[in-house]
Amino acid sequence: MAPDSLAGVALAWADQPGDLPRQFESRQALEAELRRLFPAAEGNLSPIRGGRRQAEALLSRVQPARYAKGRNFLDGPVTRLSPYIRHGALILAEVRDAVFARLQAPGGGGRQAGEKLINELGWRDYWQRLWQQLGDGIWRDQEELKTGHHPGAYNPDLPADVAEGRTGLACMDGFIAELHETGWLHNHARMWMAAYLVHWRRVRWQAGAQWFLRHLLDGDPASNNLSWQWVASSFSHKPYFFNRGNLERYSGGTFCRTCPLSEQGCPFDASYEQLEAELFKPLPSVRSVESGRRERSGPRSSGPSAALSRPTRRR
Amino acid sequence: MQRPILWIHGEALGPANPALQAYPGQPAVFVFDAELLAGRSPTTGDPAGTAPQAVSLKRIGFLYECLLELPVSLRHGDVVAEVLAFARAHGADGIVTSAGSDPRVEAICKALEQELPVEVLEPEPFVELDGRVDLGRFSRYWRRAEREVWAAASSEQ
Repeated sequence: MAPDSLAGVALAWADQPGDLPRQFESRQALEAELRRLFPAAEGNLSPIRGGRRQAEALLSRVQPARYAKGRNFLDGPVTRLSPYIRHGALILAEVRDAVFARLQAPGGGGRQAGEKLINELGWRDYWQRLWQQLGDGIWRDQEELKTGHHPGAYNPDLPADVAEGRTGLACMDGFIAELHETGWLHNHARMWMAAYLVHWRRVRWQAGAQWFLRHLLDGDPASNNLSWQWVASSFSHKPYFFNRGNLERYSGGTFCRTCPLSEQGCPFDASYEQLEAELFKPLPSVRSVESGRRERSGPRSSGPSAALSRPTRRR
Repeated sequence: MQRPILWIHGEALGPANPALQAYPGQPAVFVFDAELLAGRSPTTGDPAGTAPQAVSLKRIGFLYECLLELPVSLRHGDVVAEVLAFARAHGADGIVTSAGSDPRVEAICKALEQELPVEVLEPEPFVELDGRVDLGRFSRYWRRAEREVWAAASSEQ
């Protein structure tokens, strides 16, 4: 077979009529066959390959201390293991043990170097436990929204310009293209997209969650839906939002440099106080207390994060 | 069970799958779930939504590449019907699978049990927590879990 052939491991039992093929001349041949077998499925194969070998290669490159320091940056040293963990090509217990082994090796840094990464694995375990508890109720608001808007004020459908990646915002269109082409996005990009869709465009989080599940290689209703709910504020004490300074910093400015709205018209180019006033209605009972403590004046300082990261405040 | 078949589902496509570990070499099957891929199950679509949308080809390709590395027959259609047909073709006296977080796994097991005994094996957990775990917020879960996770790390040394 050709060098890039995809040969399934041999089976110890005979094929039955209707079994799907396990031998392909190339990845291209696999893609063509999948198009034939699954005509309703849109798009191409992802450049990210499935399988245990890929998972092990990524696992061998995990650096817990560097991860802790740089994980919020789009080009930071995140593990990219989520699709493999989602489908059990690698399980959390295996990742945990590999991290422990690395920390305990000479120069590994010990517990302190690994606390953040282990905590993030804990987030995945937490979401999975919640999914088991909530079942299909994971699609419903877990709590009331804290945005001051009635749930009915949110559009039930994904706007066409978002679905097609032509919002005119270089950052969002860039993220959408990456989602559609690769099926993977940095956690911070997911968070910005979710906040944009729910708060700026006022779309129901369920529409965004379903869109992500169509595309994300690691998509499951646990991490995905509950993180959308966290952004929306139906599973947190307040909505998550961001501003241009935050996005610019953690994306290295790559989007803003080429954005047609960079000089004028960027909807994120404001202080957190201005954005809060613009996006949310006052919640008298809650907000009078909280504004006294100035809790609502900044972005969240803590929150879910196997799925969502915690930006530091910056304008 | 003397001659079980293994049902492999989408949460366990690796060597840590406890069914593959407990019954190496037994005939195993994975079914591309037509309902799920069409976006008509809560695994992939909003049950209250009116416009189900099919899962993209990328996701199917990723699963397929994981599956080619496992000894498993591949089918497409209704999961229960396909698994039972596979069991009959192999003269199986039972079905072994692994527990999943997705409620769909349990629902499928219940349907399979109408015809054959089903054994559900637990994969190795990330952390073992006895009794009721407060999942109201992550911090409450982590207060308990963190201690246990790191206790396991130091016992490894």
